[in-house]
Amino acid sequence: MEEVKAYIESGILELYVLGQLSAQECYEVEAMAAKHAEIKAEILAIELAMESYALENAITPSAELENQILSQLSSPTTEKINAEPKIVSLYQGTNDAKIKTLRFALVACLALLVVSVAALISVYSKLNSAHDQIASLSTQRDQFASTVSKLEFTKAGMENRIAMTETDEWATVKLAGVKNSPKAKMLVYWNKNNKNILINYAAMDLPKTDQSHEYQLWALVDGKPVSLGVFSENAKEAVKQMETIEKAQAFAVTIEPMGGSQNPTMEKMIVMGGATI
Amino acid sequence: MATAKKISLSEEELVNALKKQDTIAIKALYDMYSSALFGVISRIIQHTEVAEDVLQETFLKIWNSAESYDSSKGRLFTWMMNVARNLSIDKLRSKDFKNSNKNQDIENNVDFIDQQKKVSFNADTLGLKEMVTTLKPDFKNVLDMVYFKGYTHVETAEELNLPLGTVKTRVRMAILELRKKFN
Repeated sequence: MEEVKAYIESGILELYVLGQLSAQECYEVEAMAAKHAEIKAEILAIELAMESYALENAITPSAELENQILSQLSSPTTEKINAEPKIVSLYQGTNDAKIKTLRFALVACLALLVVSVAALISVYSKLNSAHDQIASLSTQRDQFASTVSKLEFTKAGMENRIAMTETDEWATVKLAGVKNSPKAKMLVYWNKNNKNILINYAAMDLPKTDQSHEYQLWALVDGKPVSLGVFSENAKEAVKQMETIEKAQAFAVTIEPMGGSQNPTMEKMIVMGGATI
Repeated sequence: MATAKKISLSEEELVNALKKQDTIAIKALYDMYSSALFGVISRIIQHTEVAEDVLQETFLKIWNSAESYDSSKGRLFTWMMNVARNLSIDKLRSKDFKNSNKNQDIENNVDFIDQQKKVSFNADTLGLKEMVTTLKPDFKNVLDMVYFKGYTHVETAEELNLPLGTVKTRVRMAILELRKKFN
């Protein structure tokens, strides 16, 4: 009871009635009032005092205001229409202008979009045809380049052949096809002074090899075969230098596995020819 | 007791009508409470036209937010009075009102100083009945500030340089004196 009395005397109930408390404090006061009848009675007494005080100090508003307020409240629909149109119409005015501007902007944007898409499509098709042209030009260029390099290769070989015929220093050994490859033929150049051996791609016509085989040049020295090195079907240089050999009675070419063999595979011999210096 | 019961009963009817948005409630509400509420508003806002605007806003708010009134938490008038006071204080503190009332603020201060010096106080200018002036000045100042001038009790304590507990006690004493007069 002491607690309740102290609570009442703290003045918090007066502040509650005067609307001076926070939501949390109000909640506490309401909880106390629900628990203690004295507090509820005290609140009622304060309320009645403030109510009487207000009634005692009442000021009658003008009759004009009464009509205004009553007409505003008695028709909730007109209340809303009366209260809002001023504001709404003002906003509508500015919004109309805004919306009009925005519509123009939207139309302009759409037009720009259509033009942009059309331009993009045309540019894209032009780009595609340009790509096609570039591809075909580049194929042509590759063809020309390979033709030119073939011609260069052949030209280098031919020049070497001419040079060989115009000098006495080099002996030309003709190798002819054997029975496996009667059409095959090849020239081997043998230097009389330093015994160098050269072969010339422009001066050979050998049967084709597969990828795992290449040609091997042999010298027949006193009945024994001596390897002078391997050469493949395709080469960068038209003229290739082979191993040097002091003396030889004959030269031959066999087809051997990549890297060459210790001894010639006789059944794979394709050309052969006797040599004398 | 009989009159009290009659009032509470009519208040109950009024609350029901108000919650149902019954148009009968409007007229009853206005007849019974408009002058009391206008009295409360006019204490806080001395400018008659502005006070009338606030009264109109008050009735509009009471009507539109009747749903939020909970009769178990207090009397209808207490709720309406606080709606009126809050709207008045909001208006008093709004920028445009402050700007248009700079001169009046000075008058209010003079009034306030007069009361503190116990110079005779012309209650009629504020529409106060003689009864109010019979309150002890110390209690009256505090109640004036909290009830009429829109101060919170914390602001009142700061303004009068009093402990918060003292302000609370003085508010209580002032209202106790009012209770003696009325109950």
